[in-house]
Amino acid sequence: MNEAELILFAAKIWCGIGALVAVVFLTFGIDRIDEDADGAYVFRPLLVPGVLLIWPMVLWRWYILADGKDEWSHRYRPKRHNHVWFALLMPVAIVIIIGAAFSVRQTWPGDIAPEPLSAPAEVSE
Amino acid sequence: MSVKYIPVQWNRNKWIYDAVMLIGVILFLYLFLFVSPEILSHENPINPQIHNARAFGACAFIMLTVILCIGPLARIDRRFLPLLYNRRHFGVMTLFVAITHASYILNWYFAFSSSNKFEALLFANTSYGQLAGFPFEVFGVFALFCLALLAVTSHDFWMKFLTPPVWKRLHSLVYFAYVSVVAHVSFGILLDQQNHVFTVIFVGGALSVAGLHAYAAWLEYKAGDDIGSNQGGWVDICDASEFRDGFAKIKILPSGERVAVFNQGGNLSAISNACAHQNGPLGEGRVIDCLVTCPWHGFQYDVTNGRSPAPFTEKIPTYNLRLDGTRVLVDPVANSPGTYVEPVPLPDVVTKEVLV
Repeated sequence: MNEAELILFAAKIWCGIGALVAVVFLTFGIDRIDEDADGAYVFRPLLVPGVLLIWPMVLWRWYILADGKDEWSHRYRPKRHNHVWFALLMPVAIVIIIGAAFSVRQTWPGDIAPEPLSAPAEVSE
Repeated sequence: MSVKYIPVQWNRNKWIYDAVMLIGVILFLYLFLFVSPEILSHENPINPQIHNARAFGACAFIMLTVILCIGPLARIDRRFLPLLYNRRHFGVMTLFVAITHASYILNWYFAFSSSNKFEALLFANTSYGQLAGFPFEVFGVFALFCLALLAVTSHDFWMKFLTPPVWKRLHSLVYFAYVSVVAHVSFGILLDQQNHVFTVIFVGGALSVAGLHAYAAWLEYKAGDDIGSNQGGWVDICDASEFRDGFAKIKILPSGERVAVFNQGGNLSAISNACAHQNGPLGEGRVIDCLVTCPWHGFQYDVTNGRSPAPFTEKIPTYNLRLDGTRVLVDPVANSPGTYVEPVPLPDVVTKEVLV
């Protein structure tokens, strides 16, 4: 099994477990931890893709809410200062990336003869 | 705001928002595909699959750029707040456009190999050690994964289930997705772009996002909320004469939470500044008939008890207040969400000037 097959296999396993969690959570669990979901069924299929992707987080929050361990004050503490980090780092990253890309462009600023980047690829089986 | 969850909470404003967005997407694709192919380096013959892939890819980039501009624009100028209102639908539509782009790519460049096309995508180029010819596809895959994660967790259920701060952190992935898209384009089509109309649009868009976010952060740093000073276990907000009727003063408490103290007809009430929905800044809203409206998505709360009007069930914490002369002080320990607190009347000496 090559790396690409391994990655896809791992993704299938991950989503497979997620599907099991989705069935149990959306059938039995959700009504017990959110009163707004009690008796509301039409919206539940919309949640399936989310559960497939973040099922460990779903299990964790399910446990916290079902066990009454949810700390209400945490809901009202937005991390507004996080934006400063994104606002500083994102422009730096964007400028570096675009600058790096222009620096390796083979026909910029003037036309030059293109050079092969690497040897021809092997023929895939 | 709903008592029970429904798939999509449509209303007239959302219909208009989505209709404008859809018309914009169709117009962009029409222009790209049929009106001006020659200014977009399509003077060389390319087949419809590649042409469509480029059109949807360019459209997804523009959409993500607009989405990333809305946040800082709304921070810089409140007139952009309506654009924030339905941004999640914008994000979901961007995902669909991006998936269409990826599908055209997969079903053309990787569809004629004996291998599975998804495997072929992952192993076709593994030159991770060089900048020129770097496997830019991986940036696209990462960005698509992030957009998918954001779209599938965009229902209000997820906000309540994960809590707004965690949901916000998860949705901060949009910044990583955007940087990844910039890398995907920079090390992909940009390296081969012969006509620079799109180059200018791309670089201009990316630098606009970067500049707007940096400027908004600078404004927040310069004119952001102050930390309230401690006065014997209570936090000093300001002098009573500084209040305007219907508006709030916001202070940061020692715990890092923000409190919003409202003046409603000469009576002061203090609530959490964070809306229960997405932690929007309630203190930037205005009180009308005892209710403050969140400037982000219109959720409303009674400032005396932190509860949404029936039949809605959202609740936020309230705070106890007291006066020390004309200084307004708040107890930094929040009451549990939905607790009624008797409003504190402004001192007579300042009531007249404030209510004028």
